[in-house]
Amino acid sequence: MTKYLMGVAAAALISLLPQVATAEEGMAAPGKDVSMVLLPKFLGILPFDQAHKGAEEAAKELKNPAALQFLGPTPQNSVAGQIEIVTNATTQGTKAIMISNNSGDQIVPAAKAAQAKGIKVVTWDSPIPSSEGEDVFVAQVDFNDIGKVMADMTLNLTGPEGGEFAILSASPDAANQNAWIAGMKIALKDPKYAKLKLDDIVYGNDESEKSYTQAQALIDKYPHVKVIMAPTSVGIVAAAKALQDEKLCDKVKISGLGLPSEMLAYTKNGCAPQFALWSFVDLGYLTYYTSYMLATGALEAKEGAKFKAGRMGEFTITKDPTRAKGLRILMGPFTIYDKDNVEAAAK
Amino acid sequence: MSALAGLKRWETLLFAVLLVVMTLNGIESKYYWGVGNFVNLFQLSIEKSIVALMMAFIIIGADIDLSVASVMGLAACVMAWTFQQGAPLPLAIVMALGAGVLAGLNNAFWIAYVGLPSLAVTLAGLIGYRGVARILVEDRAIGGFPLWFNTLGQQALIGPLTLSIVIFFVLFGFFALLLHASAFGRLVYVVGSNIQAARYSGVRVGLVKTTMFVGSALVAALAGILYAARLGSVRGDTADGFELDIITTVLLGGVSIFGGKGNLIGVGLSLLVILNLRNGMGLADITGNTQNYVVGGLLILSVLIPNVYQDIQNKWKGRKR
Repeated sequence: MTKYLMGVAAAALISLLPQVATAEEGMAAPGKDVSMVLLPKFLGILPFDQAHKGAEEAAKELKNPAALQFLGPTPQNSVAGQIEIVTNATTQGTKAIMISNNSGDQIVPAAKAAQAKGIKVVTWDSPIPSSEGEDVFVAQVDFNDIGKVMADMTLNLTGPEGGEFAILSASPDAANQNAWIAGMKIALKDPKYAKLKLDDIVYGNDESEKSYTQAQALIDKYPHVKVIMAPTSVGIVAAAKALQDEKLCDKVKISGLGLPSEMLAYTKNGCAPQFALWSFVDLGYLTYYTSYMLATGALEAKEGAKFKAGRMGEFTITKDPTRAKGLRILMGPFTIYDKDNVEAAAK
Repeated sequence: MSALAGLKRWETLLFAVLLVVMTLNGIESKYYWGVGNFVNLFQLSIEKSIVALMMAFIIIGADIDLSVASVMGLAACVMAWTFQQGAPLPLAIVMALGAGVLAGLNNAFWIAYVGLPSLAVTLAGLIGYRGVARILVEDRAIGGFPLWFNTLGQQALIGPLTLSIVIFFVLFGFFALLLHASAFGRLVYVVGSNIQAARYSGVRVGLVKTTMFVGSALVAALAGILYAARLGSVRGDTADGFELDIITTVLLGGVSIFGGKGNLIGVGLSLLVILNLRNGMGLADITGNTQNYVVGGLLILSVLIPNVYQDIQNKWKGRKR
């Protein structure tokens, strides 16, 4: 009996400890058994594999004995697949689910059901628009900054005389891409960009073939288009290939968000002279740290909470200024790639 | 001999497969045998399951309806759009069901009265109805439905069962009676096995086909509305690509793609096999492409096994003679 009581007392003390710590700065307690699921928009796309790598790095550092599950749907079945994976993870009593949301608010009922069972739901790369069912969103860079960087790159490529451009995005309900496009529209109001004209926004659903034909269609429909801005790593490669195949790279330039290793050839041959991205490895790493600390109680998902995420240093949870509600952890920063630095980054 | 007669029934084989799948699932995951998991297992694909019931009629009637998933999307989008224009939700639901009936009548007109092949007509429907859905909702998501609607779609209604699951079981019972114990059901088989003979013996083929295609679209519209309630919001791509899963289930259930053969027990068993298999793989952390690969393999086997069996049987009979 005394042993039991002492155990209870010790457990109570231990449970108090992290709370004391969060008042200052949350520190991760390594070695806890926390089952976690990393859920990308879908499988088979390089940035998500890089995020997986980063998450595995953090898992190793935190000595989590439970293996990280990297589970994703196919692109054709993304919405139903994401919901199914969240539901099954809930059944399995997983401790934390990390979602790059491709289902808009359609994921909300499943995410809420997970939270009701005490599971931490952390979004990364793409948040839940209404923020319902979500503990916190790990944002790669400030979404409005992305808009401004896209506007800057467009102006760089058209030259000071400006001109027409179009956007080739991923799926119509990808919260991240939509937020960036909205950010870009806000940025375009600045008189600096007065000579840029947005012709159209089209969607390639992050499928190579569809993105390729959408890019071709854009060139046919808007003969004066000078830049195609693709804020998606799939779309930007497909569009660059479409222009290269049509031998139009001296007339129309591609830019947006892409992976150096996939963009190397197109940056070198002038089809896509300039593009931007952040590190998906770091994003996976930070997301894992955040989720692990939330699940172990070392961090609370509330405004102003500070914590240390291993090699990446200190972060603070804030209100998300890009959504009506919701909390955000901002990673940053951006790298702009061109012919001078793309080769080194591609390795 | 009687054991053989039992074995040759496709349903017996499916039942055996089901038992194997369920046993393996139980060994693989300690979370499998739970009421909550079984409810989830049904609920995650309940709309496809509902549509599959009516698809069985169509395929037994030697036709196909490729437009069902687009009709699901169309109904969901019509409902969401009407609601967004300020109409009360019950009216929006009636409009959505009406859109389903119109889509079904359109299919039926070209198939039953103009005489075009259902494959072509419903393929056009697949593209066209999806187009209308996307025009209505554009590239947005429409949500914010009243709480009662989302609750009906997401919470248990009777015991642990949701409204969609209850509807599925009611429809299963109704359709089983209709197909196997009514005059209409017999006509479906007659039309499916020999349409010329049916015409000559005075069967009103056009009416039978119209009933089936309107029924299929109406059920699909209902499923689309239930899907919207389960997810709480609607997009232009709602239920995109579901038709293939639905047809797969029906074919695996032993319904012949050439018409005239099959029954709802087989389709029900096939549903259970696929749902349990997907659930088991999900709980074993197998997702995406691997799941598709396994279900695809199962479908090929389901076409192969009866054919090979028939071949062997024919040779055996030939030797006896």
